[in-house]
Amino acid sequence: MIVVSNVSKIFTQAEERVQALSHVSLHVAQGECVLLKGASGSGKSTLLSLIAGLAQPTSGSIVVAGEEISKMPERLSAQMRRERIGFIFQKFHLIPYLSVQENVTTPLVPENLPLHVIAEKAKRAMERCRIAHKAHMSVHRLSGGEQQRTAIARALVHNPMIVLADEPTANLDRKLSLSLIEELRALKDEGVTLVVATHDPLFFDLDFVDQTIELHHGALRP
Amino acid sequence: MLFSFRWLLLEYAVRSLFRRFGKNFFIFLILSFLIFILSSVLMIAESIKAELNATLKTLPDITLQRFVAGKQTQIPISRVDALLEIQGVGSVTPRIWGYYYFKPAGVNFSVVGLDIYEEPYSATMARLIKDVNWTQGSYDAMMIVGEGVKTILRENYYNDFFHFITPEGQTKKVGIAGVFHSDLALEANDLIVLPKRAAYEIFGMNASDATDIVLKVSANVSEIPTIVAKIIEKFPDLRVVTRDDIRVSYQNIFDYKSGFFLALFCVCAFAFFIIVYDKSNALSSEEKKEIGILKALGWDTDTVLQEKFFESFILSLGAFLFGLATALFYVYALQAPLLRAIFTGYSALKPPFDLPYTLSVSMIVLLFLLSVPVYIAATLIPAWRTSIVDADEVLR
Repeated sequence: MIVVSNVSKIFTQAEERVQALSHVSLHVAQGECVLLKGASGSGKSTLLSLIAGLAQPTSGSIVVAGEEISKMPERLSAQMRRERIGFIFQKFHLIPYLSVQENVTTPLVPENLPLHVIAEKAKRAMERCRIAHKAHMSVHRLSGGEQQRTAIARALVHNPMIVLADEPTANLDRKLSLSLIEELRALKDEGVTLVVATHDPLFFDLDFVDQTIELHHGALRP
Repeated sequence: MLFSFRWLLLEYAVRSLFRRFGKNFFIFLILSFLIFILSSVLMIAESIKAELNATLKTLPDITLQRFVAGKQTQIPISRVDALLEIQGVGSVTPRIWGYYYFKPAGVNFSVVGLDIYEEPYSATMARLIKDVNWTQGSYDAMMIVGEGVKTILRENYYNDFFHFITPEGQTKKVGIAGVFHSDLALEANDLIVLPKRAAYEIFGMNASDATDIVLKVSANVSEIPTIVAKIIEKFPDLRVVTRDDIRVSYQNIFDYKSGFFLALFCVCAFAFFIIVYDKSNALSSEEKKEIGILKALGWDTDTVLQEKFFESFILSLGAFLFGLATALFYVYALQAPLLRAIFTGYSALKPPFDLPYTLSVSMIVLLFLLSVPVYIAATLIPAWRTSIVDADEVLR
């Protein structure tokens, strides 16, 4: 499902080159749950962004669902995200002052779908994430947990085959974190491929995690 | 399906505008104000230009004025026969006219003496006095007045007649026979037409003299310079004013006044382009982040730009229409208080007149092109710059 081959990523900031990833390779089979461990700045978020096609690697290749997303034109990688990938951000990245429902339907706006289909998909995603009762509330009035559930509903609204989660429990308390873990387990049971970047110990001994990969200064720790 | 897509995107754009209501409302107000000023300036200029052109069309081919010791004085009517003898001259009409200062209102009326058996010296005058009953009532004489004169007289309790005061201090009671209903507001508004006999009395002039003499040329207008030369040869004390001379004089006044408007126009345009330049250079961090989020969620650059296009189109078109509508109301309903004084200042002593409605499609198109596409471009350029950057980089 996901094949990362010898990927490196170098950022240039104020004429200074920062090696975010160095010769990383990994393979994630369909329906697997992979945990990316590592301290802050180890390159976990960068790797997730590259898998989602949000950035291009400096070298190496990334194949997602049989297509090389790392070399795709921007239009096609956007389409890949719309159709197959759901991304849960560490900072939620909700659009302020839009309602929960409006945020959840945002990924569907570019699709040529009738309004009732969009409404139905949004309703299903919100119900699944137990946020449907706040559908019309503006997201900036929600608690941290509710915002996280909205972000997850948005990531799942188009029934993606891959879910990438970047530090999904970083802004949640223990109870909400456990609830989110159960949600990920349910996704895994449905056959969704999961890649979770985290350094939260709650994830380390989960029975549904198939692989744990540790990154250290942008490289895989042997 | 396509309709559904665009509708959703449009809906998103509208919501986006309302999300940043304060900022967008401020931009809307500034844009509307600038378009209002530009539209008003162009509308006033167009109206006055149209008015002057209409007035010029009614002028005689040649006007003769007599000068003695450098000052204009009356012309003996006896010169008419000699003028008629000049080849190419079609008709010669001595005119009696002048200004009558009406002290209570502080305005000048233009008074023209005309006899009903006489051929009026302009087509407009003929149209103005057609259908007027000169003999009604029991006054010394009857007159026809412009709308402006009628209004001012009514405000001073003269409803049916007016008492002129002659240079000898006598009063001359003249009845009001009618009011001009002319579309030439500048020409007819301050005008009083009455019989020549009454005009001579009011001005204290000798009946054998005229204020000036106007000529119509029967030959080709290209012969006017030859006719002018012959008149000057025959009567060296006459100043000959052709229609072209008056056109140049009017144009000079118009151009001089236009300078003020051009300055105002430039200031507005400059302010507008500063806003546009500022907007085209950067997006707020919030806007950048939103573009990053949308791209991360699967929006491609085309969709982001289409959404930004809708946003800027709605805002700029709304501001354009609001500014234009406000300008129409200001210029034609309110008669452009303050701004209009810049153009019509030279006739401050005349009764006010209405700016004629002369809105042209080309002017609206010009204003539209100067505002809406420029603003849209200023919105799309920074949005495009942000949307071609990797979403990952924008969100960091």
